[in-house]
Amino acid sequence: MSSRPVLEVRDLRKRFGGLVAVNGMSFDLHAGEILGLIGPNGSGKSTVMKLIMGVERPSGGTIRLNGEDLAGLPPHRIARAGITIMFQHSRPLHRQTVLENIKLALLPDSLLRLATGPEVDRNARSIAKRVGLGHAIDRRPGTLPFADLRRMELAKVIARDPKVVLIDEPFAGLTLTEIAAFSELIRALGDEGRAVLLVDHSVRSIAALADRVLAMYLGEPIARGNAEEVMSNETVRRVYLGGELQPIGQNSRVTADAPSLLQIEQVRVLYGKAQALDKIGLFVRQGECVSIVGLNGAGKTTLFNTVSGLVPYSGTIRFRDDDLRNKSAGEIARAGVVQCPESRELFGTMSVRENLDLGGHLLPANARARQLEMLFGLFPILASRQSQAARTLSGGEQQMLAIARALMMNPALLILDEPTLGLAPVVIEQLSKALGELRKTTPITLLLGEQNVTFALPHADRVYVLDHGRLTWEGGPAKFAEEMGQGYL
Amino acid sequence: MHSLVRSRLFWISIGAAVVASLLPLWLSAYLLSVLTGAYYFGVFAMSWDLLFGFAGEVNFGPTFLIGLGAYSAAILNNQYHLPIPLCLVAAACTALFGGVLLAVPALRLRGPYFGLVTLVAVLLLQNAIVIFAKFTGGEIGMTVFDVLSIDATTNYYYALGFLVVSAVLLTRIANSAIGLILQASGQDPVEAAVLGFNVTKHKVAAFCISALLSGLAGAMLIFYMGAASVDTVIDISIGVQIIIAAILGGRRTIVGAAIGAVFLIVATEFLRPLGQLNTFVVSAVALAVILLLPDGILGFALRAGTRE
Amino acid sequence: MQGLQILIDGFTISSLYALGAIGFTLIFGVSGVLNLSHGAIMVVAALVGWYAAGDLGLGTYFGSVAGVASAVALAYLTYFIVVRPIQRSRTISKEETEIFVLTGTLLWGIMIQVGMAYLFSDNPVTMRPLIAGVTDILGVRTPSNEMLIALVCWLAIALLWLFVNRTGAGKALLAASINPRGLTLLGYELSHIYWLVWGIYGVLAGIAGVLLASFLGVSTGNAGQLTASAFSIVVLGGLGSVSGSLIAAYVVGYLETATAYLIAPTLRPIPALILLVMVVYARPQGLLGRR
Repeated sequence: MSSRPVLEVRDLRKRFGGLVAVNGMSFDLHAGEILGLIGPNGSGKSTVMKLIMGVERPSGGTIRLNGEDLAGLPPHRIARAGITIMFQHSRPLHRQTVLENIKLALLPDSLLRLATGPEVDRNARSIAKRVGLGHAIDRRPGTLPFADLRRMELAKVIARDPKVVLIDEPFAGLTLTEIAAFSELIRALGDEGRAVLLVDHSVRSIAALADRVLAMYLGEPIARGNAEEVMSNETVRRVYLGGELQPIGQNSRVTADAPSLLQIEQVRVLYGKAQALDKIGLFVRQGECVSIVGLNGAGKTTLFNTVSGLVPYSGTIRFRDDDLRNKSAGEIARAGVVQCPESRELFGTMSVRENLDLGGHLLPANARARQLEMLFGLFPILASRQSQAARTLSGGEQQMLAIARALMMNPALLILDEPTLGLAPVVIEQLSKALGELRKTTPITLLLGEQNVTFALPHADRVYVLDHGRLTWEGGPAKFAEEMGQGYL
Repeated sequence: MHSLVRSRLFWISIGAAVVASLLPLWLSAYLLSVLTGAYYFGVFAMSWDLLFGFAGEVNFGPTFLIGLGAYSAAILNNQYHLPIPLCLVAAACTALFGGVLLAVPALRLRGPYFGLVTLVAVLLLQNAIVIFAKFTGGEIGMTVFDVLSIDATTNYYYALGFLVVSAVLLTRIANSAIGLILQASGQDPVEAAVLGFNVTKHKVAAFCISALLSGLAGAMLIFYMGAASVDTVIDISIGVQIIIAAILGGRRTIVGAAIGAVFLIVATEFLRPLGQLNTFVVSAVALAVILLLPDGILGFALRAGTRE
Repeated sequence: MQGLQILIDGFTISSLYALGAIGFTLIFGVSGVLNLSHGAIMVVAALVGWYAAGDLGLGTYFGSVAGVASAVALAYLTYFIVVRPIQRSRTISKEETEIFVLTGTLLWGIMIQVGMAYLFSDNPVTMRPLIAGVTDILGVRTPSNEMLIALVCWLAIALLWLFVNRTGAGKALLAASINPRGLTLLGYELSHIYWLVWGIYGVLAGIAGVLLASFLGVSTGNAGQLTASAFSIVVLGGLGSVSGSLIAAYVVGYLETATAYLIAPTLRPIPALILLVMVVYARPQGLLGRR
């Protein structure tokens, strides 16, 4: 490791309209070292990568590569200066072979070269061998398995011969053996003297590889050090877990012989080549609140979208003993399974009241009025902002609107995907109270997906843990606090 | 390109070229003249495919460039009596200049707006020709003093030769390193930029090549027909036919566009006895191909049997 | 005096433009389709209306209804035969769907235009005026029919506005243009929405076609031009924005009328074209565009 940093980021900032995504990031990257940048969803870590690569323009700050400030330059200039990025999702050219894809990364940005010399071909082949694609060199990306597509991305990185390598979620979708192989390849990049920045939401997955770790939250750095130091840091734990795990009060009114409302068996989902969900089996009883706990990328959203009928799957999903397989998404929602998605999907230019009315379209007029009244009682702020356009509401208010709108459907099963994402603690408090109120006054069943464990546990009757598309743990909230609290990160 | 597909394409092209060069032995002067026009059309369509199939940009007004080339050649010959070769060079340069003028601002626009600008360019050129009727003959059109030849067979070979040379040139570019970068720019411009390529620069270059060939072909067409008018080289319907020809023949194959063009022109001629309905039948067939064989005639022929 | 003439004439033509453009932009906003057979559908409505009114002896009123009905039928045919198969096709990638829909609707439009010319010849047809006579507005004598046409246009636009902003189905339409996935999650079937919007589109295009036949006369040769002008108005106003199309229609309508009266009738389309160029360069999303 040399003394002068290859990459110096100072006071990096980015706003998207009113939203501040990155707020004063500063760090150094040295040649030969591997730095891990971690943070929960919405922390701004992917934005930081995009700013360095020039895919987004910074609102302020400097990015110096060997002293030269690259901030604000177009991505192709930054690439030629010596920075390369490996995106989280593979981006192959589908109509070209693996060899051609790698060759592309070796080409200069010139209009005059019609033919490529033989050394380009030789180079491409040796790089392919290095990453383990020697056998697949003449195949098209569509025929390759997921891990090989990731290898091809890595091959493109090596082909660029970069000084700085940015890698987003390096191990997402890979099996343990594949992770080991990839770690080797990434370690080799560092050994060659390149500076490597790994971005991930989970410290554990990059702990073995990273020399140093930097944790981010809401666009700012919150902790630096080696992997253990960061994992045990107070602020980091609070940000990931949502705070101290409170002792759980027993609020479960649900007995073991309540009928099963939702049953999921042997469900598998493939996104292209990636195994998004594998052998998922779970059930939800009438009146229960079941919490699916997991970090981003674990597969919670995929699971919920599968239940809602938006994603093809293999396996069985039953709601009230009805197989949901051949029902359209609209039918499933009408049947009583309503999702409030992570992205909320509000009708931004329509008013709060109009959004709610659309949710209540299936109810007769008086039932709709009653439901509206109940929800205004639950979320008083929505009543006072009735005629405002949905997109003018604050984040917390929008979340409340999304939940209220879903509740207008009078669902038997309400699926909530990361309701507390990006919300301030006081708003999370309000949501928690509303949720408690809802469970007390209605017979609703809840399926709650959260990475904020502190929010989820007090309400949950049972907890499942989802990690990399698989269910890895199941049990009651008290047991969860005992067993998982420490090892969760 | 996949080697099996590539060799199939090669043999199909060679076969077509050989057959085409032997046709004057059997066909009448009338049929040869139909094919001559079709071959120039083929160059229009191939140039369009370079832009669409490779750079991923939809040019709704290819006749802007064709018209620039055609009319500059016509004006130079008609008003200043310059010899044909000089007029052709001038036509190519004018079209190139027009191409750059159009491409640089237009490429900054996304999606349908780029197509819109190209469309508006055609409308402007059309109106300019009508307004400056003194130089251009307005809506009636203008004649040129020189023609390439009065012999149908000679004209046929000029056109065929031009088509073959253009096809070879465009295919070489498409299969070269530049072609690879163009495809990346069209398929995934963010990734292309991140791999260090100035996407705009390459797209403008593709635009220029397309402009050069289109303008040249437009000028040659004028010296073949002996006259230029808005209806034959500028009207939006011509541009529409070019787009249909390229998609019908098979996008991203270059040669397919030429095949589509020949099919379109020849089919329209053969169906002439049906009167107005010939357009109906051709459009219906084209629509059917688009719905059922989106890869186009050549695309289907190339991929049949090679399931990936 | 001429100023008032321009004001009145421009108003009617702008109202007609507006009706056509609003339908065009509605289909784009909700179904995501730039329907290049738009002009052809209007022409069909005009021709069927004229034929039904005259040759079938239904009279002007019922003839017009027949014309509008034919436009609705044609709109549905366009959706089911051309647009939906392309949108659902698995061999066409997402990015290429738009160009395929454009080319497909273009070919479809040409087929309709030529087919109609074959059946009806390409001579212009005019619908007999619904009201005879002339009205005197502050010294300008205007055919009463012209006033009626402007009125009907505005009635149609007003009804549409009421529908979208005051009824549940209309709000669902609006929501579909903002966020179709959001609607699916609330238990709506998007296919029903598409049924609705293409039907409404057919009605709007049909009324516009029939009224145009009554005002200026329509021939099959107009089809392309009608699509082009609807297209440019929608671009000026902003793709997907109904109020934008409304405003832009009046801007274009008045620009054209003023040019025809004050400069020369042959230069009629030029200023609007120049405006279009400026807008596309300076503000490509148009006046009030969203997408």
